Amino acid sequence: MLRAATVFSLLHLLVGCDQRDHAATAATVSLLVPGQDALQSPPDFNREVRPILSDHCYRCHGPDASTRKRGLRLDSLEGAVLELRSGKRAIVPGDIESSEAAARIMSDDPGEVMPPPEMKHALTPAQRTVILDWIRAGAEYQPHWAFAMPAASPLPAIADVSWCRDPIDAFVLAKIEHEKLSPSPEADRAALLRRVSLALTGLPPTPDETDAFLADQSPHAYEAQIDRLLSSSKYGERMASDWLDVARFADTFGYQSDWDCRVWPWRDWLINALNSNLPYDRFVRDQIAGDLQPGATREQRIATAFNRLHRQTNEGGSIDEEFRQEYVSDRTQTFGTAFLGLTVECARCHDHKYDPISQTEYYSLGAFFGSIDEAGTYSYSTPSVPSPTVRLSTPEQDAELARLADAARKAEADLLAATEASKRECAPWLERARNIVVPSPVRRFPLEGTESSPSGTATLLDGDSGPSFTDVPPFRRCDALSLVFWMKSPDRKTRATIIHTSRFTIESDQQGYQVMLKDGHLCWEIIHSWPGSAAAIQSAEDFPVARWVHVAVTYDGSSRADGMHIWLDGKPATSQIVRDHLDGPTTARTFEVGHRDRDQGFKGGALADVQVFDRDLSRLEVLELLKPGSIESVRGQPIKPENARGVQELYARTVDERSQLAAKQLREARAAYQDLLESIPELMVMEESKYPRESFVLSRGQYDQPDRTRPVRADRAIDGVLQFEPTWPRDRSGLALWTTDPRNPLTARVAVNRLWSICFGRGIVPTLENFGLQGEAPTHPELLDTLAADFVRSGWDVKAMLRRIVLSATFRQSSNADPAKLAKDPENKLLARGPVIRLSAESLRDQALAASGLLVQKIGGPSVKPWQPPGLWGDAGASSQGDYAPDTGENAHRRSLYTYRKRTAPPPNMLAFDAGSREKCLARRQSTNTPLQPLVLLNDPVFFECARALADRAQRESGDDPRKQIVRAFRLLVSRPPRDTELQALVTLYDQQVTEMTADESAVKSVLASDRPDPRRAAMVLVCSTLLATDAAVTSR
Amino acid sequence: MNGEPPLCTGYDHLMALTRRHFLGASALGLGGLALGSIFGTGTANSSVETQAPPGLGTLGSPHFPPRAKRVVYLFQAGGPSQFETLDPKPLLRERLGQELPDSVRQGQRLTGMSGNQATLLLAGSFAGFKNGAKVSDLLPHTAAIADDLCIVRTMFTEAINHDPAITFFCSGSQQAGRPSMGSWLSYGLGSMNANLPAFIVLVSKDAARDQPLYSRLWGPGFLPSEHQGVQFRAGKEPVLYLTNPEGVSPHARRSMLDALARLNSDQFAATHDPEVTARIAQAEMAYRMQTSVPDATDLSDEPGEVFELYGPSSRTPGTYAANCLLARRLIERGVRFIQLFHQGWDQHGDLPASISRQCLQTDQPSAALVRDLKRRGLLDDTLVVWGGEFGRTAYCQGKMTPNNYGRDHHPRCFSIWMAGGGIKPGTAWGTTDDFGYNVAENGVHVHDLHATILHLLGVDHERLTYRYQGRDFRLTDVFGKVVDGLLM
Repeated sequence: MLRAATVFSLLHLLVGCDQRDHAATAATVSLLVPGQDALQSPPDFNREVRPILSDHCYRCHGPDASTRKRGLRLDSLEGAVLELRSGKRAIVPGDIESSEAAARIMSDDPGEVMPPPEMKHALTPAQRTVILDWIRAGAEYQPHWAFAMPAASPLPAIADVSWCRDPIDAFVLAKIEHEKLSPSPEADRAALLRRVSLALTGLPPTPDETDAFLADQSPHAYEAQIDRLLSSSKYGERMASDWLDVARFADTFGYQSDWDCRVWPWRDWLINALNSNLPYDRFVRDQIAGDLQPGATREQRIATAFNRLHRQTNEGGSIDEEFRQEYVSDRTQTFGTAFLGLTVECARCHDHKYDPISQTEYYSLGAFFGSIDEAGTYSYSTPSVPSPTVRLSTPEQDAELARLADAARKAEADLLAATEASKRECAPWLERARNIVVPSPVRRFPLEGTESSPSGTATLLDGDSGPSFTDVPPFRRCDALSLVFWMKSPDRKTRATIIHTSRFTIESDQQGYQVMLKDGHLCWEIIHSWPGSAAAIQSAEDFPVARWVHVAVTYDGSSRADGMHIWLDGKPATSQIVRDHLDGPTTARTFEVGHRDRDQGFKGGALADVQVFDRDLSRLEVLELLKPGSIESVRGQPIKPENARGVQELYARTVDERSQLAAKQLREARAAYQDLLESIPELMVMEESKYPRESFVLSRGQYDQPDRTRPVRADRAIDGVLQFEPTWPRDRSGLALWTTDPRNPLTARVAVNRLWSICFGRGIVPTLENFGLQGEAPTHPELLDTLAADFVRSGWDVKAMLRRIVLSATFRQSSNADPAKLAKDPENKLLARGPVIRLSAESLRDQALAASGLLVQKIGGPSVKPWQPPGLWGDAGASSQGDYAPDTGENAHRRSLYTYRKRTAPPPNMLAFDAGSREKCLARRQSTNTPLQPLVLLNDPVFFECARALADRAQRESGDDPRKQIVRAFRLLVSRPPRDTELQALVTLYDQQVTEMTADESAVKSVLASDRPDPRRAAMVLVCSTLLATDAAVTSR
Repeated sequence: MNGEPPLCTGYDHLMALTRRHFLGASALGLGGLALGSIFGTGTANSSVETQAPPGLGTLGSPHFPPRAKRVVYLFQAGGPSQFETLDPKPLLRERLGQELPDSVRQGQRLTGMSGNQATLLLAGSFAGFKNGAKVSDLLPHTAAIADDLCIVRTMFTEAINHDPAITFFCSGSQQAGRPSMGSWLSYGLGSMNANLPAFIVLVSKDAARDQPLYSRLWGPGFLPSEHQGVQFRAGKEPVLYLTNPEGVSPHARRSMLDALARLNSDQFAATHDPEVTARIAQAEMAYRMQTSVPDATDLSDEPGEVFELYGPSSRTPGTYAANCLLARRLIERGVRFIQLFHQGWDQHGDLPASISRQCLQTDQPSAALVRDLKRRGLLDDTLVVWGGEFGRTAYCQGKMTPNNYGRDHHPRCFSIWMAGGGIKPGTAWGTTDDFGYNVAENGVHVHDLHATILHLLGVDHERLTYRYQGRDFRLTDVFGKVVDGLLM
């Protein structure tokens, strides 16, 4: 908190002298703000003129060159004064008569008037006047406020200096005084503590906390409460709730099948980051590019899951690239909204119509986020986690993994040594050898058909069907494997399935091993999840066409591409590595030849005699399979140099006991390592791909229309915001530097505005999501800029900023308004009263749980499923994942940020209170007031259970007097005792219900959910249920 | 209709009465209650600039006199095949089993399910169209009301997978997060009913669950959440949380609400915050919904002949037939937009048997709804729309046998029908090529359909906008043309 104190130096300017010399201070600061006479001054460009131009003119005369009409742009002075082809000028500053724009907006002729009637965006007379006045006064353009770097403003002149506790208050008071209003008195202490507790922790204070505060006569009593709240772990949970909306965090992938995506470890990272007060620039940097920071920790890698929380699909028939582009776009757009408060998505199809964001810049931004090795669909038939991922091991597991990896390395070295040693023995062996065993397959599929091949009958394939076998030998990636077969391709194939072990073509569904033809090359692939977790090679040359080729593909069990080989007609084929990052199970589910569901088969091709070996065949063995007798021909003779390697491999792999034992031990060591590794859950994160894709501007934003004349690279962001330094890395870490550079005019403003909105329920810029030209203007621009500048100077200290805001006199005002003030400023834009906020969906339930004593305070872990009406998942037809099964025990009473969020069927009681579906980034929730809300509060069993528990608790803590119970329940929930009228209403209700309940034993049992015949308690439950729906409980005031 | 006042619903009067009654009867004597929300507009979000008069939509009144006042949208989810229902293509039978000519496909994209097939063989419809009928033999009841229908054979869309396509149809965008059609109408036109939501969704319980549905399809997107579609379910709780907890009698609830009103009016006296009074009003609305919703959903007062009209399954709550009947009751009660969803049309394989079942399930109730509305004089100003999110391919997906075939998704042309509400009856709009693969003439894009539906409701689709993230959004994005040829 010390750091924050230095920020307040400005405050000293003000408060430091307030006792000594009011007049002097006021005089000093008043010089800094020239008096404005609204009647005489020309329209302010930013506040009055630009919104009109932007709304009515920029669509055709703005930054987007492609749709610009008549070459006229009105978003810059240069453009506006340019001589047009007609010889006229749209704007001649100071000269209405010569300004064509003036004539056109005033015209009565439908063919002349601007905007054209078909745009349905006619100017009002008042808007016309503003434009004319502005041109008359010289048509001064100003840069959009949000794109200029914020600087701390001098304090404005104010009359009531003594009211101010912070420069915040001076800025606020100046406006209040300008409107001839006065601030509200300080809220009463209980209300203030409730307000600040809900703002900072999402929970009301307990009666004890309130009592302690009321009893604390120290001048720092309030500060002490703030510090208590900020250091509570509930703080991180509350702040996380808001960021989860921004990060579109949910427990399922979204789109139609909407399966579980298990990303809660990121949510726990978030809570921890907030609780530990991670400076905001690091908070941003780690989420954008934690993986690329020097010595990145696992926490930093987990942080990058922020970019993977978008929806993903696995719907059958989806086109992979279409959805991959959607994901990249979502990341780009979320980045724009979350950190910059810009609607970059407008530039997906064309240059932004209003903000200085070109389409090229949009795709350059996308290039930062598209450089990971991912598929566009997640797996339907395997449980693989979409790559790239990080394993979430415990420290114990890490130690064990390190030990097992060591053991595997050592076993590999042992094998190498044994093989090396065996070389000396193989020459004498060859000369003495009697019978050499020729290799035998573990499975042999003699393919039937009318075709004949060099090795028996062959199957001619139609591309849509073919042999399919289910008795596949089990395969793990630590197993050696070879496939040998004859193959004839009728033509050069762009894509053809030769042999595979998976179920569908969808990239991420391919698993096990496969031989493919792609762009003419023969491909040999061992796959956990394509493309992010696979080892794959391809032949350098095109595969021969129209003749039988003997093909062998081998793999040594190393999980590495250099352990894979392709042999054509017995000769090793030169190959290239396509992927070399295999780190998950490679379960083979089937064994199909020449076809695959939804894939291109081997149309017109022929295959014969497919053999599977559970060994890494040596070259001599491959040769033997092609030409039986090849091995026999070298026996009993000195080794010829051209055969040396073949003989050595053959000896080591099939004869030498030490080498074979070492190989067996290596397999076991690898299996042990993989057993543990593959049991550890994974989390989707960001990781730069080693196989960069080319990126292009997509015409009209269409995935299948890359404009190859417009390549883009991750080397610029949005120049109109801040130039990308040439020294910055051309990857997400560079983008993170660009975002958190103190010269970036948006990041700090957007952040402090969000913090402000958390406390006041409304931002200084009300459109938290849009600081661009079409966003709303700040109500207090100088205040916003001062806070932003201070925030950066403080080292981006979030808690200090919140502390400062809630300590301000502005925040502390009573929220009660007299009708006159309310009429003058219904939306409280002037902040001449304290904030009124309807509790969020999360807070409402958390408050009920906390007040009733049911709340289970446990931080983090898998999301939980409190009760919800049965059948909702099934109703939606999303039954493939089973219906919602509510948790019992403590998970039924956790804080609501842990509630399981299924995107296609969100918790209905939260939807009723404006919690969104988390399908896309949401910077600001609506706050509505609907009939569904009282229905939830009064009828949802979740809330009724709280009512029951609240009645119990009130009795437990206050004894048998019902009045005392009511007062206690009221205090527990609303943080103050009831006023007399309130108490009277509740007592009346209680008395009525006692009478009714006494007459209805079964109602008592139902209400109490027990056999206890206690009508008084049942009546109290109904009183508590009513309390839950009162404005006093639902609102923070 | 021109002479009528705006929003001439017959319910306005009732609604005004109700509101007056409520205000008058209220012991609180609070003036100026904002009745907004589910039953109107009005929102607590102060940044919304357009505050409408209570009970009306943001537009206050339609842009021009409406032809339709309400809509029932019978959404056939999964993508019904046009070939077996509404678009006869004899050529496909003639060329059965032949390869789809490249000249017809024109390199257009296919889904990943059939796009890699080695052959694309033409599949003729097993279902016939009698003597030049517009509707296939699988839909005899629909065929019998053909004189009331306008069949649009040239619908086309952009997406080829269910999620993006159905999201596009329901919200005008493939992206999640845009308001659904009904939400736009609730926002723009408001409610005609004080006791029921403006936008109600009914999902068939008896449908084959081939592709899931999601609340996004009736979600409010970025509009205030009171404009979300409210799903009515079969069973004892037609609307979630409508029923009092066990042991809480209606009488006890009344007492609780009286106490609540007293507490909140005391709170209002202390705070002067109008939101508090709105909260009192919403609680009263909730109370009335507890009666009005069961009253609307309880079909037991329908005479036997009505059940006969809608077919035997209409006696089973939650079926498509029961939902069609319920839709009529909701129409009678002035609900603005009712959307039924019936799954099961995604016939990639085994199409003949499967589509026969679907048709059997939906044909009679769909036609019955039109008939029932007509005989009650409600069809003139109620628009009924029947259709799915895309059509199906002229070629067979998977293996073709003499008696069996399947069809993949096809966005380039497909058929829907409309009835009532100012639609030109007894017509078929647009023609597709002989293969049923491309639009030959008079294509109707999804945006065009939306524009036309809004037009019938008296709304200029270009002027029903909502500003979000600095942009004025519309149901029709920046596209859409009213298809005059469909209008009476």
